[in-house]
Amino acid sequence: MTEAIVTIDHLRVTFGKGADTVTAVKDVSFSIAPGETVCVVGESGSGKSVTSLSLMRLVEFGGGSIVDGRLTLMRKDGPIDLAQADTTTMRSIRGRDIGMIFQEPMTSLNPVFTIERQLTDGLRLHLGLTGSAARARALQLLRDVRIPEPERRLKQYPHELSGGMRQRVVIAIAMACEPRLLIADEPTTALDVTIQAEILALINRLKREKGMAVMFITHDMAVVAQIADRVVVMYRGDVVEEGPVAEIFANPKAEYTKALLAAVPRLGEMQGKAAPEPLRLVGQKFVPKSLPPAAQPEPLLEVKNLTTYFPVRGGPLRRHTANVHAVEDVSFTLNKGETLSLVGESGCGKSSCGRSILRLVEPTSGSVMLDRKDVLACNPRDLRHLRRDMQMIFQDPFASLNPYMRLMAQVAEPLRNFGLATGSDLIDRVAALFDRVDLPRSYMRRFPHELSGGQRQRIAIARALAVNPKLIIADEAVSALDVSVQAQVLNLMMELQADLGLSFLFISHDMAVVERVSHHVAVMYLGRIVEIGPRAAIFENPQHAYTKTLMLAVPIADPNTRKLDSDLSFKPIPSPMHDRSYRPTPSTYDTVAPGHLVLRD
Amino acid sequence: MAYLINRLMSVVLTLFLISIITFAVTNILPGDVAMMIMGTQSNPEALAGLRESLGLNDPLIMQYGRWIGGILTGDWGTSLVFKEPIGPLIAQKVTASALIVVMSMTIALVCAIPLGVWAAVHRDRWQDSTASTVALIGVSLPDFFWGIMLILLFARGLGWLPSSGFVHPVDDFQLAIRHAFLPSLALGLGLMAHLTRMTRATMTGILGQEFIRVARAKGLSEGTVVWRYGLANAIGPVMTVAGLQVGYLFGSIIVVESLFNYTGMGWLTYQALLNRDIPLIQGSVFVIAAVVMLANLAVDLLYTLIDPRIRLA
Repeated sequence: MTEAIVTIDHLRVTFGKGADTVTAVKDVSFSIAPGETVCVVGESGSGKSVTSLSLMRLVEFGGGSIVDGRLTLMRKDGPIDLAQADTTTMRSIRGRDIGMIFQEPMTSLNPVFTIERQLTDGLRLHLGLTGSAARARALQLLRDVRIPEPERRLKQYPHELSGGMRQRVVIAIAMACEPRLLIADEPTTALDVTIQAEILALINRLKREKGMAVMFITHDMAVVAQIADRVVVMYRGDVVEEGPVAEIFANPKAEYTKALLAAVPRLGEMQGKAAPEPLRLVGQKFVPKSLPPAAQPEPLLEVKNLTTYFPVRGGPLRRHTANVHAVEDVSFTLNKGETLSLVGESGCGKSSCGRSILRLVEPTSGSVMLDRKDVLACNPRDLRHLRRDMQMIFQDPFASLNPYMRLMAQVAEPLRNFGLATGSDLIDRVAALFDRVDLPRSYMRRFPHELSGGQRQRIAIARALAVNPKLIIADEAVSALDVSVQAQVLNLMMELQADLGLSFLFISHDMAVVERVSHHVAVMYLGRIVEIGPRAAIFENPQHAYTKTLMLAVPIADPNTRKLDSDLSFKPIPSPMHDRSYRPTPSTYDTVAPGHLVLRD
Repeated sequence: MAYLINRLMSVVLTLFLISIITFAVTNILPGDVAMMIMGTQSNPEALAGLRESLGLNDPLIMQYGRWIGGILTGDWGTSLVFKEPIGPLIAQKVTASALIVVMSMTIALVCAIPLGVWAAVHRDRWQDSTASTVALIGVSLPDFFWGIMLILLFARGLGWLPSSGFVHPVDDFQLAIRHAFLPSLALGLGLMAHLTRMTRATMTGILGQEFIRVARAKGLSEGTVVWRYGLANAIGPVMTVAGLQVGYLFGSIIVVESLFNYTGMGWLTYQALLNRDIPLIQGSVFVIAAVVMLANLAVDLLYTLIDPRIRLA
């Protein structure tokens, strides 16, 4: 094996001083060779980002300090210990020997400078390129990352570019001076699956062409399986396991790795199963029961031709000039005790659809029947009562709880609101809800900030359950959670469904999770359902071109099934904004099999 | 361009509303122009005659029409106190006040931006608490307190600068600046405190953004990262607040100009109010409102130059 480009040796990083010192990285050692991709995986707080920031010595800007260990980087003129390097040396290394990509493409670029300026200031600084030479190189870099119309992009500002394009620019910036090591810190987490697939393929190709070493930080085991040569598994500041990717997936040794892999839903693993089934977690005694649909399905929610437009205003008088067609002629039926998933990429209208059903946004037309009651015809009073039957769980458990209220009061609020319980009865019912979502009753006196993300989402579920709803709309309810926590929350939702006969409208972008929990699946694109049917039909026999694209883009948590061999370039999603005069065609469907409908294009 | 037209239209509309309010308020006040001219002990018949000749018995809408017509054609009426045409009088005083407004704003920005950035860079350390304390003292004490302190120190104590009076910049520019300096400093100190806190808050947010980390990861020096990448993003919000403070400044100059016996707009408005000089009150209030709005328009237009995201809107 060739000599490593970077070797981390017993790294230890702490934050804070004195009694408040927190050790983020305890004792981490590994190395990366040229042309090798090492994935560092772990859940939030495992110290994986801190490790990468230490290599750049950017950890100091966040208040951290490297207290022990060596960070040896092989430069052209010999090895250097980054942990001991001075500020000037570090500045000559950042952007020159080590390039870095961050998670959030929307905020990674300076909003007030042009793309050209942001691309060239590294070139000016490290390579001494100026004027037309710098410009030519910038143009070449944009071509390397396959940005359409690179000449035009140079003059543009970040807000004029889509998320995927911005991430390509960030990669181009990191690649500008042909670094020997590229650090990618969750570079695809904030992106849609099709764009994620493109970016992963791009990083892979650049690594091959330039012979770089890549340190790839992620929490997503499927991404690891797709891109890693070697894997370093981190847990609470320590490396718990390290090895070649195939070995880690086939034969994990550490208990933590096993638990992590067990918690990952894998696309395709539900093949041949009739009904959703909770994940089998490590250390779990009982055998999870599957959730067969009722023999005589009874519809709970019937949505017909639901359409929601958002007005766009323009001109000096703020006139209504155009509409965003967020939900376009959507129809589906959700049965009692079942889960229907709405799946699609950002902007496809899945969230607007969920909100329209609850009338959190007012639909433009269509009909929504909940248990044979017309939701859209309700007056405000009736609607308030009807909302007892339909509750919502939101994506962000941090933002959806009131930070000033005790958890007891938050869970009790729906009960009080509908006057369902008072006094000791109220306390008993709240306590029962805490039991139901597996939270200790002592937590009733706590505030949201005293809980972890998964615990907060349990509170949100308890709050939704308080009024015994028939329908729960879960809008990306597990997307913000770590995989092991995500698995627990998913299992809880399935358990509640089995016990209480709940129906879920499950809104998600994650195909593997959707495959796990759904009885029926509807794929959304540009406001319309392009394909709907039983879970097995959609996943095993996709018919619509977009469904196929989506399936192709989803990374599979199996290193033997790699999809990144060639550059991918999916069609960008067109704008859903149209003039007021625009009259869309109604959605018409072809029936492939009973219940399996495909939109006619 | 559409944005500019949009903004200008709203300025015209707001000025129109302000003219109505100004006119209405001065008419609701007890007493009228005729009584101010003739005095309270005057003969009721003569008073009635004057009222008739001044058109004060006409419907309010007609009186307003005459007044606004005069404003638009340059005939602003005659001041009852100064016995001079109001137009030229206000024009002269506005230049005097513009000098201290511009000077105090410059003093405030020149001090506040570096201080705020410095505090944000050293967040939660002694530099930050020092800057915060200085700012807090500046905010909590009224302008006239600073005025008195400055007069005691620079005029009485050191004798460096004059403590009162006004010299027109066209007559003697250097002397005009010397006379305007202490009132400007008194106003600037309070303003600086606000702007320092604003700069600090904005910069703190910006320095926590990912693009700052990306800039550091490129190997740029800390100076470039903070003063170019950071400040370019902070300057817009700070300028917006500075623009809003122009309104506050025109409130404060009434006190400060009187204290320094600096005969500007504030002093003029004060005299007008004191003597119930209704035509002059109407003219002054209208001009001050117009100046404040134009200052904010200027800031908004400047913002479009700084932040490319606004241009499309």
